Amino acid sequence: MTRAQKKPVWMMLTPAVGLIGVFVVVPMLLTIWLSFQHWSTQTGFETAKFIGLRNFEDLFSRISVGRDFRGAYFNTAVYTGISVVVILPLSVLLGLLVYQRRAPGGTFLRTVLFSTYMVPMIAVALVWSKLYSPTEGPINQILSWVGISPLTWLSAPDTALISIVILNIWQQIGYFTVLAVAGLTQIPQTLYEAARVDGANPLEEFFGVTLPLLRRTLLFSAVIAVINAVQVFEPVVLITQGGPAGSTNVLTYFIRRVGIERAQGGLGSAMAVMLMLSLIVVIVAIFAFARERKEDA
Amino acid sequence: MKSLTKLGFAALLAATALTPMGAAAANVELTYLTHWAPDTVALLEKAAAAYSEKNPDVAISVRAVPFGDLLTTIRSGGSGGGTTIASIYDLWLPELVRDGMVAPAPEAVAGEVGSAWPAGIAAAASVNKVTYGIPNEVDLYALNYNKTMFEKAGIGAPPATWDEFEKDAAKLTDPAAGTQGFGLINSWAAGVVHPFASLLASNGGTLIADGKPQLDSPEALQTFQLYETMVKNGWSVPAMGTADANTTGPFLDNFVSGKTGMIIMANWWESALKAGLGDKFDTIGTAPIPVGPSGTESHSISYSWMTVVNAHATDAEQKAAWDFLAWLDGPDSGKNGASAMADILQSMGILPSRSSDVAAFKSALSRPFLEGYVSQLANAKAFPIVLGGQEFTESLQQTIEQLEYGQISAADAAANAQADAESILTRAAN
Repeated sequence: MTRAQKKPVWMMLTPAVGLIGVFVVVPMLLTIWLSFQHWSTQTGFETAKFIGLRNFEDLFSRISVGRDFRGAYFNTAVYTGISVVVILPLSVLLGLLVYQRRAPGGTFLRTVLFSTYMVPMIAVALVWSKLYSPTEGPINQILSWVGISPLTWLSAPDTALISIVILNIWQQIGYFTVLAVAGLTQIPQTLYEAARVDGANPLEEFFGVTLPLLRRTLLFSAVIAVINAVQVFEPVVLITQGGPAGSTNVLTYFIRRVGIERAQGGLGSAMAVMLMLSLIVVIVAIFAFARERKEDA
Repeated sequence: MKSLTKLGFAALLAATALTPMGAAAANVELTYLTHWAPDTVALLEKAAAAYSEKNPDVAISVRAVPFGDLLTTIRSGGSGGGTTIASIYDLWLPELVRDGMVAPAPEAVAGEVGSAWPAGIAAAASVNKVTYGIPNEVDLYALNYNKTMFEKAGIGAPPATWDEFEKDAAKLTDPAAGTQGFGLINSWAAGVVHPFASLLASNGGTLIADGKPQLDSPEALQTFQLYETMVKNGWSVPAMGTADANTTGPFLDNFVSGKTGMIIMANWWESALKAGLGDKFDTIGTAPIPVGPSGTESHSISYSWMTVVNAHATDAEQKAAWDFLAWLDGPDSGKNGASAMADILQSMGILPSRSSDVAAFKSALSRPFLEGYVSQLANAKAFPIVLGGQEFTESLQQTIEQLEYGQISAADAAANAQADAESILTRAAN
């Protein structure tokens, strides 16, 4: 490549790289820098005072903010784990059901499933907080008809987080089902025909053809599901405020509480850095796991 | 060319004629941030419109957010482009002052606050003897009880002591009917901590004394033990006490539907109770906080609200904002010598704090529900206003909720709360 040919490439890349640098890299570097500072979010950056690892030490110390951070971290991990573990298989199952060309109303079912994803969270929160009401909520009333005692749902630490997870699955499942259907459409029918010729039953078709060829879709779904789950915020702020007894206190909500309400910008940034690092580790692990499975196959 | 000159001259004349009018329509635009409900916001907008009519160069718009988002909204918009006026809870003032977010009141306003409000309430609007806000409401806690449930349980009068309190709670509890004797709130910091602080004060204790937390005192331990007893015996069912971001939810639902016999709640809940109970509102009684074994008399916990002006607003906006607030909270804006603010507050059952407002509403404040609160005002103890107060409150909320849900014992609660509070207050002061 001549010098004259190189110049336009450099010029064409500059705007995109510049925008990414300004809007992605700089805020990330700023957050990392602030995590080593004592800084009130209500004052200018010039007031930030370097305190080394003190913010990170606080997060792992016995003081209340450290305990609450670790609780929020654990809650976020549980929320993410259950959400992903339920959403992925369920989306494939529902995808298989609504993808069946012979089954009538497949398009209608896909539309119904996807519609939950389009409902604004504020509406979802309003409705679900009433549905979950322990004494007057319809869910408990329905359960009582079949002899099941009222459940505490959002009102007890043991059940509050799982109630928020159920709400999340309900809202997100349509989106992931559509992704699964998109993946299913990419699998050539000839492979199923060949499998049947070889005497494969439907279960063997699923594990031998469908699942291996859905790997890329599932990898994408897993990454998006993890990112969505880790960023859970709206149902917590709208319904539970992190309670009861901190059982639904998740990282994004706690970072907001510390970083904005209490104006402890340095500490909030340290939490954000921990969240970012954890997310990177999980995403890298998912890719490594997928690569390993591919090599095994 | 000549005709163009004429046209230009005519346009200039028109512009000259219109400019003062246009400028007069809204030279200064103020925004007022509150957490009030739509009905109350409408009353504030009406008062703002009345002010703008007399002061056509000032336009005021009102913005409302849920209580749970109020502090975040103030802080998010504080460094510029935020609201000009904000309604704040007195606990938040020291940190907002520390962060340079609120403007000191002009001398005339500060003088008025010092002379027209009770000293304790005026002091809560000041930091280091500088006045930063105009107080408007004062809230305190009392025991609310369901008279119908009391009658059914054969209880003649509300409990005056903790001993009676426990006995009444036991009588009012019926697991088969889904009723609990005493309702504890969760998932709302002030809703959890203020009733606890009221019981502690009525047991001769305090949350903070001379800047030091007192949560491991014998009085505090007894208060934690009271909670433990209530829950262990099933007289309080924590799962019935969840509140949402709007400070309603199952806690309110259970009380208005007759499933909770007693709660400790603030006077401003009158409007929520009226909305929930309708014609049955009269079945709710108000009584002083029961006195604990180490206490000598009933003490409520009080706190106040005030309006502050954004320190990042322009000089013109700050000047207009203070002028509007002085009018809104002054004796000439409302009816019969009351302020327009007092009229608005009374629509929600909230006690106004300005002395002339209390006098103007004397008869209204003696209605049965509020009378129980007003009578406790003299003995009320102010919730401590310290740097780190919000974090202190949220931390204590966590401890109390852990106790309510049986995750820790009363002794552990006292020890944990004290250790956390010491750490929070020390760090906030440095």
